[in-house]
Amino acid sequence: MGSSVRSGASFRDPSGFLFVRDGTLFRQVNPSYRATFDQLEQSGLYADLVEDRLLIPHTLADVAPAEPMAAALVLRPDPVAFISYPYEWSFSQLQDSALATLDIQQRALAHGLSLKDASAYNIQFHRGRPVLIDTLSFEVYREGDPWVAYRQFCQHFLAPLALMSRRDVQLGQLLRLSIDGVSLDLAVRLLPWKARLNLGLLTHLYLHAASQRRFAGAEVRTAQGTRRVSRTGFLGLIDHLRRTVAGLHWDPGRTDWAEYETMHNYSPAALESKRRLVAEYLERARPSSLWDLGANTGAFSRMASERGIATISFDVDPSAVETNYRSVRASGEVNLLPLLIDLTNPSPAQGWHHTERLALQQRGPADAVMALALVHHLAIGNNVPLPQVASFLADLAHWVIIEFVPKSDSQVKRLLAAREDIFADYDVEGFERAFSGAFELRHHEPIAESERTLYLWEKR
Amino acid sequence: MSWLPLLVGLAAPPAYLDPGSGSFLIQLLIAGALGAALAIRMSWSRIKGFFRRKESPPPDSEKHGE
Repeated sequence: MGSSVRSGASFRDPSGFLFVRDGTLFRQVNPSYRATFDQLEQSGLYADLVEDRLLIPHTLADVAPAEPMAAALVLRPDPVAFISYPYEWSFSQLQDSALATLDIQQRALAHGLSLKDASAYNIQFHRGRPVLIDTLSFEVYREGDPWVAYRQFCQHFLAPLALMSRRDVQLGQLLRLSIDGVSLDLAVRLLPWKARLNLGLLTHLYLHAASQRRFAGAEVRTAQGTRRVSRTGFLGLIDHLRRTVAGLHWDPGRTDWAEYETMHNYSPAALESKRRLVAEYLERARPSSLWDLGANTGAFSRMASERGIATISFDVDPSAVETNYRSVRASGEVNLLPLLIDLTNPSPAQGWHHTERLALQQRGPADAVMALALVHHLAIGNNVPLPQVASFLADLAHWVIIEFVPKSDSQVKRLLAAREDIFADYDVEGFERAFSGAFELRHHEPIAESERTLYLWEKR
Repeated sequence: MSWLPLLVGLAAPPAYLDPGSGSFLIQLLIAGALGAALAIRMSWSRIKGFFRRKESPPPDSEKHGE
């Protein structure tokens, strides 16, 4: 038996915790939670949620707990291919996660249980859809009690969604600043005045924030007291939150990147040649996981995901990620996860002890990365020397499918239009020299009717 | 409802999340109205459903009618 490593993100709730042993993820359930856990199964809620793909399935694991003194059970949850965070999601991904949370809460109430937390970090995209991964998020519902997770739901979901929808989609990045969502105080100061005219936002953000200011630190003892929230009131609250969240919209609109696929400089023959080469390299490398960096709306990512490869489409443009996610959702794709990442400033490790949320790199490596029409944006757009591009990619994957775009290409000319060309080493020789350090060249071939070359590199 | 007896005497594990006083108290204020709104909406859709059922022919006759 190998040693157990307790997850750095799993310490707030005394009901149990996650640990990894011999590469397998387990969840220990502590005795204080045993009765509630049994309730989840016996009430039929577990079966209901798993059947509709709202909760991650688990099996009882016949292994020694990580902390035997404090253990009642050990579960083995189905593995999630990639852990992503709300600040890496597009508007609709966050919205669908919010609606999934409320759906789960409504079903829980029908089974005599209630969510005791509503953290966006408890939702993960698993085979294309948002699912709750924290099996210990339930408590027995006691009529009269208000929803203990109301504040958390508004901070993690409603406030960022309202800001993205009513002010600017980039404000979703506020989730990266604070570990517990966007404070309502900040949200109402950033929202436009008109947002007050939406009854849901007025109630759950403005009045809620005012109540927080007015009653900060006030003593509340409601469960046994006279003032209570009836069951109907509780259901009304959840239903109203659902209608408020569902009523928010954001249209990806037309940005340079979201339209890229219709306005790039490839001829049909060049595009066909590029597709043929990508297919050939995928057949050769046969990766089981692939990260497509600078994926735009995912046209090339789909060449991998449709081959059954667990694929992530990373892009810096919220519109591209949103468009990509809407396609995934519309056609029920299970192998493709679109995520918002700025490669020049990727998600860092953060939270308590730098271990609650992992950096992008810590969540790898993938078997393969694909970097099509990307290298000039890193090397020229962001001044990263080519050897450092190579060492970054070497940290991410074993195989690299990469397109070299020379200075003679119209897209590079555009990048250099207003600035001095300080990139003496940016040519085919410099590129091959930079990658030869960490990689072995497996194949390279020019893309027909273009200035570009597609390379397949394997890590030494 | 076979699970009901299990609830009796169940010791609830302590809530670990701080609900926040203001977030707790505002629910007491708004839940009544939101619950009433939900109840009205549900009975309204029940009334509409009742009349719709009366107006339209039963689904079986639709199937065989073609």
